[in-house]
Amino acid sequence: MTGLLLFALLAQNFEQRGFIQNQALFYPQTTSNDGAQAVDQAAIRWEASYKVAPWLKLAGALDARADTHRQVNRDAQLNVDDRTTQRPAFSLRELNATLHKGKVTAEFGRQIIRWGKTDILTPTDRFAPKDYLSSVVDSDFLAVPAARITIAGANDSFDAIWQPWFTPSRTPLLNQRWTALPPELNGVTIADAGARYPGRSQFGLRWNHIAPRYEYSLSYFDGFNNLPLFSASLDPATAAVRAQRFYPSMRMYGADTAIPLPWLTVKGEAGYFTSTTPGAQDYVLYVIQVERQIKEWSLVGGYAGEAVTSGAANALSFTPDRGFAKSFVGHATLTIDVNRSLTVETAVRSAGSFVRFEYSQAFREHWRVTPGVAWIRGDMTDFLGQYHRNSYASLGVRYSF
Amino acid sequence: MSKIIAGLLLAASFVRAQEPRQIMEEVQRRQRSESQHYEGTLEVIGNGSRIATKRWVFDRIGAFGNSKGMLRFTVPAEVKGVGLLIVNHTDRASDQWLWRPNIGREQRIALQDRSTRFFGTDFSFEDLEERDVAQFDYKLLGDEKDTWKLQSTPRKSSQYTYGYLWVKKDNYTIVKVESYNKKGLVRVIDYRDFELAKGIWTARTIEVADVTRNSRTTLKYDKLEYNLPMKDGDFTLDALRRGP
Repeated sequence: MTGLLLFALLAQNFEQRGFIQNQALFYPQTTSNDGAQAVDQAAIRWEASYKVAPWLKLAGALDARADTHRQVNRDAQLNVDDRTTQRPAFSLRELNATLHKGKVTAEFGRQIIRWGKTDILTPTDRFAPKDYLSSVVDSDFLAVPAARITIAGANDSFDAIWQPWFTPSRTPLLNQRWTALPPELNGVTIADAGARYPGRSQFGLRWNHIAPRYEYSLSYFDGFNNLPLFSASLDPATAAVRAQRFYPSMRMYGADTAIPLPWLTVKGEAGYFTSTTPGAQDYVLYVIQVERQIKEWSLVGGYAGEAVTSGAANALSFTPDRGFAKSFVGHATLTIDVNRSLTVETAVRSAGSFVRFEYSQAFREHWRVTPGVAWIRGDMTDFLGQYHRNSYASLGVRYSF
Repeated sequence: MSKIIAGLLLAASFVRAQEPRQIMEEVQRRQRSESQHYEGTLEVIGNGSRIATKRWVFDRIGAFGNSKGMLRFTVPAEVKGVGLLIVNHTDRASDQWLWRPNIGREQRIALQDRSTRFFGTDFSFEDLEERDVAQFDYKLLGDEKDTWKLQSTPRKSSQYTYGYLWVKKDNYTIVKVESYNKKGLVRVIDYRDFELAKGIWTARTIEVADVTRNSRTTLKYDKLEYNLPMKDGDFTLDALRRGP
């Protein structure tokens, strides 16, 4: 009886959720380095948290994955640092402790950290590496190992983050379609020569202020870009080009704001980025967007811009964040009813564009089916345009529990 | 003589009690509590058949009209953890922030967006806020046997241009609200299954009908409690992100 009571008491403080998902991707066209036209990927995510005491909560999330396209590593071992080029078959997505007392919250461990206010592009979101293996236009966030202290009052909050170990964004595999190779490299073998990771920690500070008619944040980041530059060398033995990833230092001075006006909400976000790493540029990345709900429509539209302040462009880089700059961006969601929605997302640039449609329908309490289409146009000189052979149709089926 | 004066005063106070603002102030006074907690089950019914069931947990701290509320979905699984923080103000519309765990950032719900349906239910974001009686003008339209019928007109920005309320005379509870915009009737809210909890008459069932969509949502209160000890620090943006 005592055991049952104890179990009931423990269960009261235990929360869990998760999903089992399968997504099929269909590409009408092949690329020079990828002939696969159908890819299937499956994932299981389990998230659990336990409130040990009113001031202490432990949380964790585990991922298990498999696919048909070798984007997922087939080794049956648990990955904890997300530094592998392939997605791990089993990974510890999150594991953290949250301590809360009064106005202070401290979170330690692997955690998802998001900064910024804008939607399609968030320049100040510096602790949020992404997984770009399957798509550069629809990517998932990765957790980082960090200590985060937040002091929050009614109108002001102060955030301090220290990340002792670097977590890179997961870049597309060199032998797959999201690494777009120019036609002149047809026939050239490009080999992954691994990565040089930063040897020191990174940290950031953010102050957020809420007023009745607006809110804004100022942020500072000192660390490294989670998107790599590449150093290339020719291996005379194999005649292959060896590409090694390295991560330039980055210092960011950022600001973001949201101003609800009578007819729409204006959001802005900007970051000034400097680097001491040779080959990296100094630049300003900014987004200005307006959003409005009209009946069941949620509409977001804006412009993402960039201004390079010093340094020359580096062709050996993977920069999807800056790739969306100088674009008109838009996002619209129609909530048809409690179970159905339609989403359209687009970015339009002078030499490249993409548009993505997604319809989503829930069945009963647990199932959701999401068919979609992404259409990418442009030429090879443009970040988006270089993926013009990667338009795809997708079908996702998810069981949430 | 003193009996006559007392009688006149009583009669005067009775007349005063019929005045619409006094009626609504009494409604608000009788709903006063330091905090409220309930678990709500929502059934969304479209075209005559149930299409979704959701559950949320709601906590409120502070007195009506000047309170803070935290709402968190627990069912279905795909929206579990989604939260809404509502900070009500006596002199203006509330501030609201929505938290979606899969996005990992809070989103401020702008005033002009409050007419949007809340997560596919027939409640709009505005319906979830508490507005102090001082934010409305009232007119008494009818004095029926058991209820008063009042018209309320918001003084501040609202999706509704006016509404009709029916207030029970015996316990000053609102039993029905019809809300109108410039085009006509938008929502009908029925309050049912009243129970006395900690001295407060509370509707255990609320049915919201969206007339424009022919859809309705029934919210049933479970585990209702008043005046539980709660901390102000659990009603902040940081708390919204931190979770329960």
